[in-house]
Amino acid sequence: MMRNLAKLRASVVKEARILLRDRQALILFFTMPVLFVLILSLSLRDVFGDRPGATFPVLVVAEDQAEVGRGIVDTFRANPHIRLALAERASEAQARQWLIDGHYRFVVLVPAGATLQAKRRLGEIMAEVPADLRLEQPVSVRVLADPSLRSDYRKVLEGSLDLALHGIEMKLGREQLEQALRATQGSHFTGLPDMEHGRLFQPVHGETVTKRGGGPTPTSVQQNAPAWTLLAMFFLTVPLSVAFIKEREQGSLFRLQTMTVPAWVVLGGKAVPYFVINQIQMISVLAVSVYVLPLLGGDPLGLGNAPLALLLMGASASLAAIGFGIAVAVYARTTEQAAGFSSATVMIMGALGGILVPKAVMLPIMQELAVISPLSWGLDGFLDIFVRGGGVDDVLPEALALLAFSAFCHAIAIQRYRRRV
Amino acid sequence: MTSTASPSPAPQADVRVGTPAIELKGLSKSFPGGRAPALDGVDLSVPRGGIFGILGPNGAGKTTLMSILGGLILPSSGSVRIDGHDVLTEARHIRHILGLVPQEPAIYPTLTARENLDFFGRMQGLSGAYLESRIQACLELAEMTGEADQRVEQFSGGYKRRLNMVIGLMHEPEILILDEPTVAIDPHSRALIHDRLRELNAAGISILISTHYMEEAELLCDEIAIIDHGRLMVQGLVPDLLAQRRDEAIELQFFGEPGAGLARALETIPGVQRAEQAGCRVRVFSDRPEQVIAPIMQRVQAEAPTLRSLVFGRASLEQVFLSLTGDRGAPR
Ligand SMILES: Nc1ncnc2c1ncn2[C@@H]1O[C@H](COP(=O)(O)OP(=O)(O)OP(=O)(O)O)[C@@H](O)[C@H]1O
Ligand SMILES: [Mg+2]
Repeated sequence: MMRNLAKLRASVVKEARILLRDRQALILFFTMPVLFVLILSLSLRDVFGDRPGATFPVLVVAEDQAEVGRGIVDTFRANPHIRLALAERASEAQARQWLIDGHYRFVVLVPAGATLQAKRRLGEIMAEVPADLRLEQPVSVRVLADPSLRSDYRKVLEGSLDLALHGIEMKLGREQLEQALRATQGSHFTGLPDMEHGRLFQPVHGETVTKRGGGPTPTSVQQNAPAWTLLAMFFLTVPLSVAFIKEREQGSLFRLQTMTVPAWVVLGGKAVPYFVINQIQMISVLAVSVYVLPLLGGDPLGLGNAPLALLLMGASASLAAIGFGIAVAVYARTTEQAAGFSSATVMIMGALGGILVPKAVMLPIMQELAVISPLSWGLDGFLDIFVRGGGVDDVLPEALALLAFSAFCHAIAIQRYRRRV
Repeated sequence: MTSTASPSPAPQADVRVGTPAIELKGLSKSFPGGRAPALDGVDLSVPRGGIFGILGPNGAGKTTLMSILGGLILPSSGSVRIDGHDVLTEARHIRHILGLVPQEPAIYPTLTARENLDFFGRMQGLSGAYLESRIQACLELAEMTGEADQRVEQFSGGYKRRLNMVIGLMHEPEILILDEPTVAIDPHSRALIHDRLRELNAAGISILISTHYMEEAELLCDEIAIIDHGRLMVQGLVPDLLAQRRDEAIELQFFGEPGAGLARALETIPGVQRAEQAGCRVRVFSDRPEQVIAPIMQRVQAEAPTLRSLVFGRASLEQVFLSLTGDRGAPR
């Protein structure tokens, strides 16, 4: 065993030397994913979010048809960026479903009797009932938002709703004040009511609506950073398998077979350096996404709060990629075969797995099909961490699937490597 | 026709007792999809302590045979013993005493010579000071101490082959198998490899070498086997084989073409059966070549063309080879 470990070490050193001497390849390994993430996160930002100048379908469920309901509808109707839809009656669940199904990006729920409630509260304020003794609560106009709506657009929509509510407040207040002034003829006017401490409406807080499958839709960088890390990791199967077949073509592999070198030493000698490269790829992509992207005007990547889960995902994705590369190398006859097969397979697995095109925009049937792609397992794991704030427990199924895939690939590779004709 | 059948005054007679270095019995190998078997019932016994040559034209099965010895491919049938151990069931023992030098240089082009030796040495289980001393010794053997730290891809073909050979020596094997180690290299590198092999052999290492070159086999080997189409054609000590098949032709080469009269004049010499002229060359056939040389020289001087060379009795192993393998794949 100790002897074989020494041999493994020598194999790793040999492979590392060979890799380090291929400068061009190394540069490609690291710049490719970083550039992809930078370019695509910046340029696809508006696809994941929304194009400037786009119009949003907004639904207002106005169960109140008086001043409050009408005021909100009028404000939104005046906004050229909003395609307004109206409903007089809809349950909240129904509204959520519409949002999830993508009919609307934004839903405003105006509760029945909102105007009445606002007026009664105004009356209490005018009568100077102390805040803790008032019977009426501020009216709650609820807002539901599609989480993939870019946050700045959401803020604008929420702001315009806020403005509408302030306008209604002012209007109702002025009417009440006029009535009061007329009734008292100014004789015992005690000053303006304290509107500051008696808002008629609750502050607007948009609630994002969770989509099917759990968790909000990722932002551009949340999707791109893990996607291109994974693709880069799996693309390393091309140089890995080519290096292995070259070794066979150069005869050095046969030479090793005439010596007492176990298969796991030979394959492990390949795996370790490529594993290290994979980890550096991941770290550089994450670093660029966190630190460089915001400098270029993109959204920064939040790494979630489970570094251990991140390490676990990085390691298992890399092992899966390496296993795949080694299996391809052992089975392929020529370098062309290996390079062609592994790059084509990785592209297909990437397309299927939501790497090239996010799963959220794929047809439902394709979303189901994504399950067969190891890259999809990897992506789901990373999204668990970045978007859903998941920890080790949450990514464990994905990590285990990747590790099982890796073990399977290594097993068939070793079995084939040992075979003699 | 194996050596055991031919009694001979072999100088190595004493070391030939005991287990042979390599022993093949009924060895056959068919590749999946191959039309004819690459090896077909080969019985071969390579004695200890000698240099044994395997001769055969391209595609004869030399590399296949050596790959089986190295455990790289499995025989279809028959048994293979190295140092008395079966290659299939006792591979572990064999790998420590066997050194295999493949036909094509099996080295890492982007590593230096030293790094290649270091890596393969470690893969053989060497380490520490012993490894260092072996690397040094092998660099010296290959006469490349000056180039030790150059990348192999910058080496010439001959240097690559020299490195390829000494990698097989890193673990000081008792039995060394070399597959055509002197193909495509210059006379200096070839002489170097020959010298090294003789030294190793003198130090007690049994050597099995395959080659196309008759000259090489004659110069280097004590005993040879000729294979063709996967079949063993003959095995024997070199002097025995030479004695069996003497070349009866005397070959004369001239600067310029001799007149047509020369061949006819030579045929009048008693003991000469026939003389043939082809261009600048004249071949004289006789069953007593030693006795007709002097009269031939007299005639040649009388007829006056300038003689360039006179050869007889040489290239006889080539004759053996050609007569056994047909004219196909004639060696140099
Ligand atoms: N892997 C293989 N698959 C199928 N046939 C093979 C394979 N290796 C060798 N052969 C066939 O076996 C025969 C013997 O080949 P081998 O390489 O042993 O010849 P060789 O004597 O070494 O020739 P050379 O002098 O050209 O090196 C050839 O007909 C060859 O085509
Ligand atoms: Mg050969």
